[in-house]
Amino acid sequence: MLSKLAFRNMKRSARDYLVYTLTMTIVVALMYSFGSLFFQNELADQVNMLEDVDIMTVMIGLATFFIVLIVAWLINYMVRFMLEKRSTEFGIYLLLGMRKKTISRLYIRENILLGSVSFLFGCLLGVVFQQLLFTVMFSMVRMEYHLHVSFHRGTILVTVLCYAGCYLLALLRCRRRFRKMNIHGLMNAKRQNEEIRERHESAKRLILPLSVFFIFLFWAVFGRLSGAREIILFLVGLVVTIYLFYVGLSAWIICYVRRKGRGIYTGQNLFLLRQFASKVRTMQFTLGTLTSLFTLALMGASIALMFSTYENTVLEDKFPFDIQMYSADAEDDFRKERALLDARGAELEYYSYRIYTDRQIQVNAWILTHLRAWGTMYRNEDGSPDMPKIERMLQTESIYYPFDTYMGITDYNRLREMLGYDNISLESGEYLLQIKPRLYEDVQKAGEELQIGNASGEGILTCAGIVADPFSQDGHNGADYLIIVPDAVLGRMTPYYSELVADVKGELTEELRQIVHDLSEDKEKFYDYMEEYAERPEVDFSTGSDNIIVYIGLCLAREMLIPEMKYLLGSMIFPLFYIGLVFVCVAMTVLAVQQLSDSAKYRFRYDVLNKLGLDRRQIRGLILKQLAAYYLCPALLAVVISGKMILYVSRVFVLETGVPVAAGGFFLKSIVLFFGIYLVYFIVTYVGFKRNVHA
Amino acid sequence: MQDYIRICDVEKYYGNESNVTKAVDRVSFCVDQGEFVGVMGPSGSGKTTLLNMLATIDRVTAGHIYYEKTDITELSENALSDFRKNNLGFVFQDYNLLDTLTIEENIILALTLQKDRKGADGSGIGRKKKLTQSCEEILRLLGIEDVREKFPYQVSGGQKQRCACARALVNHPRLLLADEPTGALDSRAAQTLLETFTDLNHTMKATILMVTHDAFSASYCGRILFLKDGKIFHELVRGDRSRRVFLQEILDVLSLTGGEMTDVK
Repeated sequence: MLSKLAFRNMKRSARDYLVYTLTMTIVVALMYSFGSLFFQNELADQVNMLEDVDIMTVMIGLATFFIVLIVAWLINYMVRFMLEKRSTEFGIYLLLGMRKKTISRLYIRENILLGSVSFLFGCLLGVVFQQLLFTVMFSMVRMEYHLHVSFHRGTILVTVLCYAGCYLLALLRCRRRFRKMNIHGLMNAKRQNEEIRERHESAKRLILPLSVFFIFLFWAVFGRLSGAREIILFLVGLVVTIYLFYVGLSAWIICYVRRKGRGIYTGQNLFLLRQFASKVRTMQFTLGTLTSLFTLALMGASIALMFSTYENTVLEDKFPFDIQMYSADAEDDFRKERALLDARGAELEYYSYRIYTDRQIQVNAWILTHLRAWGTMYRNEDGSPDMPKIERMLQTESIYYPFDTYMGITDYNRLREMLGYDNISLESGEYLLQIKPRLYEDVQKAGEELQIGNASGEGILTCAGIVADPFSQDGHNGADYLIIVPDAVLGRMTPYYSELVADVKGELTEELRQIVHDLSEDKEKFYDYMEEYAERPEVDFSTGSDNIIVYIGLCLAREMLIPEMKYLLGSMIFPLFYIGLVFVCVAMTVLAVQQLSDSAKYRFRYDVLNKLGLDRRQIRGLILKQLAAYYLCPALLAVVISGKMILYVSRVFVLETGVPVAAGGFFLKSIVLFFGIYLVYFIVTYVGFKRNVHA
Repeated sequence: MQDYIRICDVEKYYGNESNVTKAVDRVSFCVDQGEFVGVMGPSGSGKTTLLNMLATIDRVTAGHIYYEKTDITELSENALSDFRKNNLGFVFQDYNLLDTLTIEENIILALTLQKDRKGADGSGIGRKKKLTQSCEEILRLLGIEDVREKFPYQVSGGQKQRCACARALVNHPRLLLADEPTGALDSRAAQTLLETFTDLNHTMKATILMVTHDAFSASYCGRILFLKDGKIFHELVRGDRSRRVFLQEILDVLSLTGGEMTDVK
């Protein structure tokens, strides 16, 4: 009998809380599809030749941990919520003589049944999601993926574990709730919630301007915070502000209504304001949590978008040569490497050349004092270069080569040819500045200010232009920049280090890939190498000023690195989107379920308004306004709060990686994404709400 | 004015072709301006259905209802909403107050929903002053100034019902419709409310139509229509008789119906 009852109740709950059931199904589908990444070896083996641990597995595991916590919170919230809504029913069971233990078992059984239904449908949907996810990932790392629908035992096990973990966490406290309840309490639970308590409103009202002030303060000083302690303090303040904001907001509205502000005398404002204030009052803690979830989701999506934009734009140009190698030995002719490559019978076109130096630091100093990325770090207070600091930096940090880097025009044009660029001609009295695309804007004045000596060293060259074509300038063709001079000028300079580039005719075969890999292993004893040459800083490999996403390699192979980088970036992008998606869905479900289950109460209210003379159209408008206010409030606060952090982070990201997007672009895109999901839930709620009210 | 409200051959059927229930069966009567009319009848006699049709909440199956020259059975849904807003006031057994609003705010809301209220200039401070004044007057008239700041759950049933009355009357409706207004009140609160109705009827010249199955409540009316099986089967006019005598007469009529109205107090 109990099973039958549980089954029927479950069916009713699934219908009444359809949004919740659907969200749980989607969450399971996401868990299944992302969980399947733990077991795909093909992709990881392909790109992770250098790593022992698959970074994707680690990141997805981390994301799953947070998701399990949040989903557990959702289940716990819903279990409590349904319990409250059905308290009268449970009171009747008690009245009929059922024992508390039996009721709690019945309720838990119902919830587990409901969860199982979501789980089954979720797994089916998850297979579809998984195929989509794999197609995207394989194409990202340039591999072909053939769709095949299959259930993987391990994936199902992982999904079951995650899901069961969520339920276990959520249902732990449920039993205790039942134990504490009595018949009277259960029968009156609903009524207690409806009572409106208004106490100390004038004092509470002050919290609103205070929290708004704190948010302003946050906007003003966020970028300037330094030190972990300051940041943690500020973040704690922010979380407190998010929660207190709603206490202040509802108190402020209540005071406004009580003061009989002029606004309440227009149309339905009085009803709307009171309705909104009382909802915010009873939901203040939940709204705070939802705002936090939205903030995290927006930040996650924005950061994922940053990495994804990098992957689609900058990364493609990062390794323009098929193969490129560095040797600290300026006389290195790369015989050993060539022999290895040639032995495989590969058709390769080689070109080896040298980077020169005049043992000056004029260009380095100019770059350090003029790039936006460095700001005023290497300037004195009067704006002049802080030379001791610059010298110290050049000697100790492997960002720029200790001396300025030069290349001859013949080598330069030969390399341009290999990359398919046009040749550039240079007169004997001219030089060129070859710079990374992202720094182009910063160095516009370099031509006027740099004093590059001519062949004899007595006169100076004039700047023929600044070129910003992608040119492998993360340490190979200079760090950030190269000064291109007529070959005659090189006569008074010394060779600095050697480079070899190779153009592979056709595709990079598996064998060649292996050789390049072995070579890089060989050359890549990077850290030993650094130690070995620590005494001779002038040949230290330097990386340039790129930050956040950097690949440092003495031996680069385009066909191998781009997929690997994409996979690494993917291991950030996918988990972040995963988190963002689940957080938004969880938060939206709470909002939707709250509104829909209240619609019975609202039906009565709208009925009264109808009797007072509001027609259907006006009531529809009122519902829309009420829902919009309720839905937008946490979202807008989240946009304001996350906005500052996202804008700051994306500004730094754009500056340090050279992504060709305005800093605000990521924020806008993630808002569009976010509100897309928002709109779906909003429409579902609005339609359901309207139907319930007019039923 | 004569024939302020005319109900002509009104019928209301429920059900489908095979099973028709006649809730109201060719009912006709008139209500004059300033009259206090009661409708009595046992459960299922059609009195609430009749009230709902007068209230424009329900539509007639056949017949006409005229408010002066307006035939409300011909009006569209939207026009009915406007008509309801401008002409009718309601008092129900379960008060129908909005629980998120205080007593005073419940009344203000009814005022603000009427955009083109007679006398209000529709904007700014003048409007606020006018509305506040109307609200003050009605709160005083119904004796609920003391609880104006309280929420419905904080006041007694009688106070809630008086608030509902205040809300219904604040827009000076042509007709006040009351459906079992004393149903949920104790006898003392019921008496106070009915005295208020009588008072409003006299001082404000409010036209009231009250549905009740309680003889004591009905005795406050000026005229009573008795409904049975959807038809009017009797009519009583109080005239100059005292309320006590009128009550006896009502009870006599009820006893004539063969004791079907067992729930008479």
